[in-house]
Amino acid sequence: GDSWGIFTFLCAALCNLPALPALNCSEELGAGQSIQQTYDLTRYLEHQLRTLAGTYLNYLGPPFNEPDFNPPRLARAERVPSATVDLDLWRGLTDNARLAANYRAYSRLLCYLRVLDGQVGTAELRHRLAHFCASLQGLVLSIGGVMSSLGYPLPAGPAGPPTPPGAPAAPNDFLKKMDDFWLLKELQTWLWRSAKDFNRLKKKVPPAVVTLRLEARGF
Amino acid sequence: DSHIQYERVGADVTMKCGSMDWDAAVTWTANGTDIDESHLNGSYLILKNVDLSQSGQYSCYEGSSWHLKYQTSLRVGTPPKEPVLMCRSNNYPKGFYCSWHLPTPTYIPNSFNISVIHGTKDMVCEKDAVPKNRCHIRYLQLFSTVKYKVTLTVTNPLGKNFTTLTFDEFAIVKPDPPESVVAKPVPNNPRRLEVSWQNPSSWPDPDSFPLKFFLRYRPLILDQWQHVELSDGTSHTITDAYAGKEYIIQVAAKDNDIGTWSDWSVAVHATPWTEEPKHLTTEAQITETTSASTSSFMAPPTTKICDKGAVVGSGAMAVCWTAGLVVAAYSVLFI
Repeated sequence: GDSWGIFTFLCAALCNLPALPALNCSEELGAGQSIQQTYDLTRYLEHQLRTLAGTYLNYLGPPFNEPDFNPPRLARAERVPSATVDLDLWRGLTDNARLAANYRAYSRLLCYLRVLDGQVGTAELRHRLAHFCASLQGLVLSIGGVMSSLGYPLPAGPAGPPTPPGAPAAPNDFLKKMDDFWLLKELQTWLWRSAKDFNRLKKKVPPAVVTLRLEARGF
Repeated sequence: DSHIQYERVGADVTMKCGSMDWDAAVTWTANGTDIDESHLNGSYLILKNVDLSQSGQYSCYEGSSWHLKYQTSLRVGTPPKEPVLMCRSNNYPKGFYCSWHLPTPTYIPNSFNISVIHGTKDMVCEKDAVPKNRCHIRYLQLFSTVKYKVTLTVTNPLGKNFTTLTFDEFAIVKPDPPESVVAKPVPNNPRRLEVSWQNPSSWPDPDSFPLKFFLRYRPLILDQWQHVELSDGTSHTITDAYAGKEYIIQVAAKDNDIGTWSDWSVAVHATPWTEEPKHLTTEAQITETTSASTSSFMAPPTTKICDKGAVVGSGAMAVCWTAGLVVAAYSVLFI
């Protein structure tokens, strides 16, 4: 359940954040366990996001916090990477493409979230957002770790916060809130999608690798 | 010529005899039976506060010639109440279905129209032949952030009504219950039951969209269920069954990550393995003096009686086991 997710997240965080000297950990991680960890991370993040989104939407106020709120998608919202994909296309994705799509999406979502963090009003929200960003950073690194262990190159992308090309800052307060709404929605959908992406990837890694690692760690 | 007339329950109905004047002499019949003149106002038939039993064929005949001047079929009913609509995806990621019904009958024919809007797109919900009042949609895209809005309108000659459901793709995922649930005793293990089941056949892709399961079991004689959640595999061994008790077992399924739990599967019954009693008839007298009546149910101590320094020969062992079983039987009687 949750405690397992938290445990594996902590492990992933400790082993993957480059700032910490835990290199032994990341060297030993085979692809199998990395995929499982990444999967667990997405579940943990999805759970965290539920609380964060609830608080944030209440902060935005009505109609954003109404459960039936179903606004049309405005063109400006397209710069947030969408998880939506044609079913057959999704099925046919190669492992590399699948992982790369996740990596790119979360890198960009993370950047947008960090921008949000700088603007938000209450201390509680800022604290929650900071915590979530840290977890999301862990996810990006975890995906990167899986890609590396499988021999795939990491997608090149904007290293720092993006200055969205051509898209101006929201002209008014309401549209800014709409941007925030869609950002959270896309993030939520990506986390649901990633669980399914990583389920598919799990099947590709021979189970022997996974059990070996588990025994070595004395589980 | 013939007509059909729909009227609300409780309404006052005035039937005119076609083009006949008000003061013409006519006879009205209802389903062939003459109607008393007290219901007539001139040549008009007045039915006050109509009820369902007054539905039928009404005919009007000219007084002397007995020519049929007018005929109508009266159908008494009600306008539709707000319909009940449910949408569910039991075959994710293929699509979803919606089914509906009226909370109360209208007694007259109703027609249903369903519309599904996804963002700005209108989608077609294909009606199922069986069951009626059901239609299904295939997903074109997966992992959509835009909600689906389903509107069901029901119309009949007396009125119309509608209801709307708005939902996310993930929110309506609910598999069918697991199939082929089987529970068997385990030989030489009086406290075990082996349960196995299969993924519901409607779930199209358990490899990419694995299911997790929830098992519940209890002995028939107790009300409280025990629960086990299983994140993979389609079998489980219960190891804490009360010996000799018949169990009822059910399983439910859920997508690993999204949606809600299925309904419970069909219940299966099983009793754990018990050793065959060997000298049952001769031990009846012994147990009458040793039976203990307890008001609370305890796992029958099948070996306790025999533990204290008993010499274990096959004959003595048989005696101990049967004594235990009969005590168990007696203690059940006292519950």
